[in-house]
Amino acid sequence: MPIQSSKVADEGTANSARERDECRALVDSLNKVTGCYRHLATGVGGSADCSNLRDELRRTREKSQELAGLLRNKLTAALRDKALSKEERAEMERLWVIFSSNLESFQVDMCKVLELGQGFPLSGTEKPLIQTGMSGGTSEVAARALSVQNLAQDTALNGERLELQELQEHIDKVDEMMENMEMKVNVLRWTVEAKGDAYYSVLSTDASSMALLSEEEEMRRHGRCCDREKCFMSVLFCTVALIAVGLSVCVVNLS
Amino acid sequence: MTIRNFNQGQQYRPRMAFLRKIEPLIKEMQDPNTGIKTQTQRLIITTIPHAMTGQDVLEWLIQRLQITDEEGYILGNMIVKLGYIYPLQEPRNLVLKHDNSLYRFQTPYFWPTQEWPAEDTDYAIYLAKKNICKKGLLEEYEKENYNNLNMKINHKWDFIIMQAKEQYRAGKERKKADRFVLDCQERAYWLVHRPAPGTLDVLDYGINRATDPNADKKKTYDYYRREILYYQQALVRSRVKSSVSLGGMMKYCEQYFTHDPIMSGCLPSNPWLTDDTTFWELNTPMADNPTKLRVERWTFSFAELMRDLRGRQNFELFLKKEFSGENLAFWEACEDLKHGEQSKVKEKAEEIYKTFLAQGARRWINIDGRTMEITVKGLQHPHRYVLDAAQTHIYMLMKKDSYPRFLRSPIYKEMQSKALIPEETKPKSNFPFMKRHRRSSPSPVILRQLEQEARAKAAASGPKVVDITQVMSKLDRRNQLKQEPSKQEA
Repeated sequence: MPIQSSKVADEGTANSARERDECRALVDSLNKVTGCYRHLATGVGGSADCSNLRDELRRTREKSQELAGLLRNKLTAALRDKALSKEERAEMERLWVIFSSNLESFQVDMCKVLELGQGFPLSGTEKPLIQTGMSGGTSEVAARALSVQNLAQDTALNGERLELQELQEHIDKVDEMMENMEMKVNVLRWTVEAKGDAYYSVLSTDASSMALLSEEEEMRRHGRCCDREKCFMSVLFCTVALIAVGLSVCVVNLS
Repeated sequence: MTIRNFNQGQQYRPRMAFLRKIEPLIKEMQDPNTGIKTQTQRLIITTIPHAMTGQDVLEWLIQRLQITDEEGYILGNMIVKLGYIYPLQEPRNLVLKHDNSLYRFQTPYFWPTQEWPAEDTDYAIYLAKKNICKKGLLEEYEKENYNNLNMKINHKWDFIIMQAKEQYRAGKERKKADRFVLDCQERAYWLVHRPAPGTLDVLDYGINRATDPNADKKKTYDYYRREILYYQQALVRSRVKSSVSLGGMMKYCEQYFTHDPIMSGCLPSNPWLTDDTTFWELNTPMADNPTKLRVERWTFSFAELMRDLRGRQNFELFLKKEFSGENLAFWEACEDLKHGEQSKVKEKAEEIYKTFLAQGARRWINIDGRTMEITVKGLQHPHRYVLDAAQTHIYMLMKKDSYPRFLRSPIYKEMQSKALIPEETKPKSNFPFMKRHRRSSPSPVILRQLEQEARAKAAASGPKVVDITQVMSKLDRRNQLKQEPSKQEA
């Protein structure tokens, strides 16, 4: 009997650890999607606005919808489970706070996109777009959000009015979801402590996260600035070598 | 989740119609035919389109709206300050310049709207992003704000850092020119919505409103019913004729004109101008020798006399002579009860009752039966304002009865003759190299100590109480009161 119960307990903890990792991964991806959505939203109404942008916004939104739904179910289930240990609960609450903040930020962005979309319709020719100086495409950002390698341009463009209506419905749904969440689970915000173990506070003296980020940056900078730096370094090295050679020749000559 | 649905209290921004009016103007500026001509901004390697000169913007505004130069300049300045157009060469200086300095339009996402104010969370994300981009890039005030936000919304800090990193990485996916423009845009946005200390906050609108100006008010039956009720009550409100109220205001102004230090100058001299603090020393609340003007003010109204502590003290002396000092003492005790500590309310009320109101009390005050009834009943459940009725009665009694006599009394007349008219200070030669004698005013700690000592002394000397119950009966006391004023009148 005791062996079985310990096995069950082990499985239980393994299960909960797996759940926790899954939740974390989902929160990370939701975070990514929210960030990208906001980035795309800043382009609405500007000179880089086009049907592609609107399309990317729609797809990002749909992706976030599924992620949010999944996360909500998981987290609600986890937090309503009475048999959760204290550390687990703290971790889940922390994820909950991140999730709800993401959702709020996403909702505000959606409202703004709705209003801006109505204010700057792409179909009509009367209202030109604001010349903001942006010219590039946003497909990379959208690809990042949707975690795909390349973004296939969707040529079947929905009617704009339909898209805005969907957006409105989505906003209402998210509203409902948030209210529901608050009703079901009571998380006291002031008891949640931002752990920051994987995400250090930026103004801390801890330099490791900076190193992490800067490493990533280095890897990305393929043919941009590094080239120039490399050239400069090599030129410097050459001149130093030349000077050394010259000096040695002089010494040889003198002696 | 930020508590958004908590509807108690004020959380709505007022209707800022001026924002909605500028937006069509900005949209018109975009027209390829009738709008503003744009140029390209040349940076070291990249070129970014859609820049325009300040001169062009100004000219367009003047031509489109048919306004004067000056007005065009003011309007253009306002547009830049609100963040619809941002300067490229001096980003922190939100001013529209007449010359060739370049400006660019702000993307609509970052336009100031009434409905979505700039949130603290977003600001924190922006600061975190800026810090990630290059450590040490934050200004002093930004660092301070960052630390404050860290304390305020600490529970969201994970989210903020995650979002900052994510947005930073997303930004890297775009091409360099776009990244530059995005940075400029965001910086301009936050310069407008979280201005540096010392700069003007253009979007300052006072306090939040209690009702949402954007919410559609449904005109239901209930709404109309409430409106009708409101107007009916407004109709029966007692009104004062404007001629009467204006007359009152005029009278007040005329009466106080010579007493106002700003309007009529003050003797000895204005301390702010001559560094001579005699004026303040002479006019302390418990000065020994009040100025003539101050003593004259006591004749204006009873409230003025009671408000001035020195005047009250003088009045107290007079009342003691008249054997009605308990009135003023009762009034002061009631004030103490009203403004004192909540925990001491009960005991204070009981003490007042014992000293002033009970049958055969030591300092029994003379209030009519009805008020006494109400007060005694109220004292069963004492609270701050339980003695309000009695206090008002005594106040009116003092005002109608003792006050006129006080003004004719020798005590007051003596005060008047003793009152001094300070002489004007000699203007000191403003020799620039002369050392100015600046003395600091006495420390508030010392002032408070002096005050307490004075109060303790007054309490120790004790009020010269005529112990009524032991000396004479009520009737005798009344007789004596009647005799005194007649003696004084003579």
